[in-house]
Amino acid sequence: MTDQWTDRLSEYLDGELAPAEQTALEAHLASCDACRTTLEELRRVVTNARALDDRPPAADLWPAVAGRIGLAARAQARPAVRRFSFTVPQLAAASVVLALVSGGGAWLLGRRGSPTRPDFVRRSVLNASAYPGDARFAAQVADLERAIAQPGRLDTATVRVIERNLRIIDRAIRSAQSALAADPGNSYLNLHLAQEMRRKLELLRQAATLAGARS
Amino acid sequence: MELTTPGVATLRRDPDQRALGDAETADAALAASGDGRAFERLYRSHVARVHSLVRRMVGPDHADDIAQDVFVRAWTKLGTFRGDAAFGTWLHRLAVNVILARRTTLGTERGRYVDSADVLEGVAGRPAAPELSMDFEEVIGRLPDGARQVFVLHDIEGYRHEEIADMLGIVAGTSKSQLHHARMALRRHLER
Repeated sequence: MTDQWTDRLSEYLDGELAPAEQTALEAHLASCDACRTTLEELRRVVTNARALDDRPPAADLWPAVAGRIGLAARAQARPAVRRFSFTVPQLAAASVVLALVSGGGAWLLGRRGSPTRPDFVRRSVLNASAYPGDARFAAQVADLERAIAQPGRLDTATVRVIERNLRIIDRAIRSAQSALAADPGNSYLNLHLAQEMRRKLELLRQAATLAGARS
Repeated sequence: MELTTPGVATLRRDPDQRALGDAETADAALAASGDGRAFERLYRSHVARVHSLVRRMVGPDHADDIAQDVFVRAWTKLGTFRGDAAFGTWLHRLAVNVILARRTTLGTERGRYVDSADVLEGVAGRPAAPELSMDFEEVIGRLPDGARQVFVLHDIEGYRHEEIADMLGIVAGTSKSQLHHARMALRRHLER
C-alpha cells in the first residue's frame, strides 16, 4: 500500500527533507504501519548496499592491460633480477645533487652561526630522521623563505603562485620520503627526492631573486 | 528516528590511511614517469573496486573490457594526477567517466530514466520467498540502467545527487526519483 508520503521516504532516510516536511512525515509515520514498514525495508536496502564487497575479476586483467600500454614488451626485455634501469652516470648525477644540496646547506649553516628557525620551517614537511640531508636542506630553505617574506616585496598573486607550487613540491617530497621509509635503498626514489628538493630550492631562489629585484 | 546520510564516496570508501595514500601517491608519480611496476602495484590495489564498479554499472558481459579500458586510460592520464585527492578517488572518478562514455557504444542509455515505479517493480520485484531469493548483486543488475546507475553511484559508491546529476546529465530531482524507485524494487529481495 502506498500513500502520498511513500515517495518521500528515501529522501527522509537520506536526511534531505526540509524541516517542516520532515516533521510532517514523522507525524504520519507515527500512525501509518505501512510507511513504517516500508521505511525499515528501505533502510535495509541501503545497509545491504553499503555492505557489498568488491570482488576482483575472475581472470587477472593485468597481462592484457600491460600489453595494451606497452609494458609487457618492456618487462620481457628487462632482466628479471634488475629492479631499476638507471645508468651509472644517472646515479652519479643523483649523488652530485645530494652533495650540492647538503653542502649548500652546511655552508649556509656555518655562515649564520646557530640559526633560529621560524615556525614554518619547524613545521616543515621534512622529517630530519628520514633523510640525511634534511636538516641542512631545511636551514637553506628557511634562509630563502626569510628573504622572500619581507612585507611588500612580492605582490599577492605572485605569492599565491609560489605557495601553490611549493605545496605541490612539498607533497612530492613527502611522498618520496614515505616511500623511502619502506624501501630505503631504492635508487629511483632517492633520485626523485633529490630532484624534488632541488626543485624547491630553485623555486625559492627564483622567488628571492624576484623579491630582491622589487625591493 | 535515526537518519542515514550518505557520505561522499571517497570518505566512506577511502578511510584515512595516510601511509597508504602517500605510498600510492609516490607510486603514481613513479608510474607517471614510466615505471610499470609502480603502475602494477596501483592496479593490484584497485582492480577489485574498479571491476566491481564496472560490473554493477554495465553488467558482467563487458566488465573485463571496460575495467581494462579504465586502467589503460589511467596510464595515459597519470600526468594529470596532482595528488590533490587520494589516488583511489582520482581513479574512481576516471572509471566513472570511462563507464559513462562506454554506455553510448553499448546502447545502455536507451530508456535509462524510466520514471515509473510499475516498470521497476515489474523488472526487479517479486515475492521474497526464501526459495526465490536472489543474490543482491544479481537483483541490482536487473534494474533498468538509469535506476541501477543512480543506485550504484549513490548507495554503493556514496556520491551525492548533485554529483550524480552532473555525471549523468540529469537533474538532481530525477536522480532522487530513480534512487527511490530502485530501493523500492530492491526491498522485495531482502532476506527476512
